[in-house]
Amino acid sequence: LIGDTGVGKSSIVCRFVQDHFDHNISPTIGASFMTKTVPCGNELHKFLIWDTAGQERFHSLAPMYYRGSAAAVIVYDITKQDSFHTLKKWVKELKEHGPENIVMAIAGNKCDLSDIREVPLKDAKEYAESIGAIVVETSAKNAINIEELFQGISRQIPPLDPHENGNSGTIKVGKQTTQASRRCC
Amino acid sequence: MANDLPSEFDVIVIGTGLPESIIAAACSRSGQRVLHVDSRSYYGGNWASFSFSGLLSWIKEYEESTDTLNESPAWQERILESEEAIVLSRKDRTIQHIEVFCYASQDMCEDVEETGALKKNHASVTSVNYTEASDSACLPTEDESLSTLSFEIPAEQTTSSNPESAPEGNYAEATEEKENHCSDKTCVQATSENVPTAENTGEQPRENIITYSQIVKEGRRFNIDLVSKLLYSRGLLIDLLIKSNISRYAEFKNITRILSFREGRVEQVPCSRADVFNSKQLTMVEKRMLMKFLTFCMEYEEHPEEYKGFEEITFSEYLKTQKLTPNLQYFVLHSIAMTSEATSTTLDGLKATKNFLHCLGRYGNTPFLFPLYGQGELPQCFCRMCAVFGGIYCLRHSVQCLVVDKDSRKCKAIVDQFGQRIIANHFIVEDSYFSEDTCSNIQYRQISRAVLITDRSVLKTDSDQQISILTVPESEPGTFAVRVIELCSSTMTCMKGTYLVHMTCTSSKTAREDLEPVVQKLFAPYTKKEIENEEVDKPRLLWALYFNMRDSSNISRNSYNGLSSNVYVCSGPDCHLGNDNAVKQAEALFQQICPSEDFCPPPPNPEDIVLDGDSLQPEALESDSMLHTNSETHKESPYLRSPVEPSE
Repeated sequence: LIGDTGVGKSSIVCRFVQDHFDHNISPTIGASFMTKTVPCGNELHKFLIWDTAGQERFHSLAPMYYRGSAAAVIVYDITKQDSFHTLKKWVKELKEHGPENIVMAIAGNKCDLSDIREVPLKDAKEYAESIGAIVVETSAKNAINIEELFQGISRQIPPLDPHENGNSGTIKVGKQTTQASRRCC
Repeated sequence: MANDLPSEFDVIVIGTGLPESIIAAACSRSGQRVLHVDSRSYYGGNWASFSFSGLLSWIKEYEESTDTLNESPAWQERILESEEAIVLSRKDRTIQHIEVFCYASQDMCEDVEETGALKKNHASVTSVNYTEASDSACLPTEDESLSTLSFEIPAEQTTSSNPESAPEGNYAEATEEKENHCSDKTCVQATSENVPTAENTGEQPRENIITYSQIVKEGRRFNIDLVSKLLYSRGLLIDLLIKSNISRYAEFKNITRILSFREGRVEQVPCSRADVFNSKQLTMVEKRMLMKFLTFCMEYEEHPEEYKGFEEITFSEYLKTQKLTPNLQYFVLHSIAMTSEATSTTLDGLKATKNFLHCLGRYGNTPFLFPLYGQGELPQCFCRMCAVFGGIYCLRHSVQCLVVDKDSRKCKAIVDQFGQRIIANHFIVEDSYFSEDTCSNIQYRQISRAVLITDRSVLKTDSDQQISILTVPESEPGTFAVRVIELCSSTMTCMKGTYLVHMTCTSSKTAREDLEPVVQKLFAPYTKKEIENEEVDKPRLLWALYFNMRDSSNISRNSYNGLSSNVYVCSGPDCHLGNDNAVKQAEALFQQICPSEDFCPPPPNPEDIVLDGDSLQPEALESDSMLHTNSETHKESPYLRSPVEPSE
């Protein structure tokens, strides 16, 4: 989950995972990732959503953040043209550092504030089409299209192919046991 | 961009190498307000890992390394009468003697570009000739090494930069700058045409030719470490990763083999009990001897009578007194203890052997782990932890000077590149940021490094996914043993069909002079001639990089001129295999900054801090016990657990 500071990344996760919206959410502190399982067809998709932990603020997101992500949600604020502009930078960065087959979804957040909109939906749609991304306008506040956003991603994630690569036997170091899941940043 | 950077912190950390990142994480975790900056555009400083194009840009940066930084607002205006400044360096001087050699055929017809790369990373083949001209005078072995280097190159040497004119099938041409044959300005370029550049390189059988353009195209598959280290599975870094729960940000692979190089041959060293018993190279008697000796080493402290009287001699001498065949002595000395033949004492050797044995079996058959995507992930993991607890991150952000109060002699602020003054109580600065004035009394040692891309493993086995460590002993007095780490593509550090080989030793000369002899022992240059001869037993070199890195470890803080007591120095990477030095350093500095605080305790459950909402779903509570796994790693449906996957 990436995008400019203040576009509502954490609020989107919060709405999605906990169906909760906090008006005074402070810039993300203390959360590293959240999870939620969503049924998709006859599979269950477990979303492990990584928040940026504020590293995006001065454009210093660690590439480690993108490792092994199956999907990326790039968020902009429909009331801020700037945030849409930076979104394009994020897409570039993702193409450079992210996995190749990453599913991209663009979320124009704060669509409840469409009366002070600065980014026309048409622009977003055109751009999304040009990069092959899903696009929706969301409102974490009013729970609009949040579920749909993640379901859309779910549908796009290619079926798992156990034979595709030989990267078996990786070791997780820690106290807990390993659990297989797929990440989404 | 950084206009809204707060102007007050508790701790400012300059440099994102491993020790600095650990301190940043620890301070942030203890509630300190941390600003963490790096003047570079990437995390890790000299601990970083790069994609292939990233590495080429890194090389270029040092090549062009000049003081052409944009004029920053004068810091002088920001300093009061009662203050003075410690000016920081604007130029990184830790990397020297960069030399690049390309042996893979360079298909220049195409405008090769890494897929998905941005223009700035565009790696053109012409950017591959670099060396520092300044060191040419002091290279006595130059001619010799050069001629040996190019010995496989066919006689029809044409200096052709236009591949269209090259005769068909002439894969390897040495394009050497003629008059520079004896200087160090060399680049052995192999150009080619009509090389089949199949689209789907991943599927190609290994016999296929790998071209330079493929390496560039698949450049993102590479994560090339500047420092080559491994984690001892019971070392301080693993313990810290586990304790702090930062381990969940990273994944590791076990080193699969310990190798030795003896009498021109690479052999696998049996080190675990199972290995020893399964070994075909050892006789029954040797097996028993080795087991007995290793068992003793495990608890050598309890049997001082066994080594009493031998403390003064070297470990290699001591081994000769034990009931061990020369074969076994060699294994123990070079591959298990990995100590120097000439200088290590019996106790050093026993200690190292015990440490090795102690780490065996925790995660696998060897005592070492390697982080997926390279060593450069580790500083980033700590930085993430710091950020999660509110640390502020600013790359591409340089600091012009530290501001010192004349009366108290304490450092009170920094002035950054924008002329902004940021105050703090503690300042952690990585060695390379200090100016020459600050470091004028210091004699730095150097580390010699080589990075090689090869087409197959130094020791072929059934599996092509082996991760190996090999120690090549010092060849003559005054030189140092060379540590070789060979990584396969499943470590996510190189493209399929290639191996990434790191060589490291303490420098006695330039990196190429130190390491090239070992490179020649283990590898052959990649040429057409050999492709035709199926009889090649040595892996072939596709690409090689040599450089020297400053070793700023173990330098007394007092050696730096005029530092305030609240300015703490972190060293760059050391030459050792493990990371204990970085952890020790970080912990010691952290204790000075926060004397009574726990060092990187595990974070609380996220639900305690994320939200005070009441609608927590059970799913959300799981976050803390979750370990993210690479989605490509586990290609199975998400609710299946730990499946057994077919290994390649």
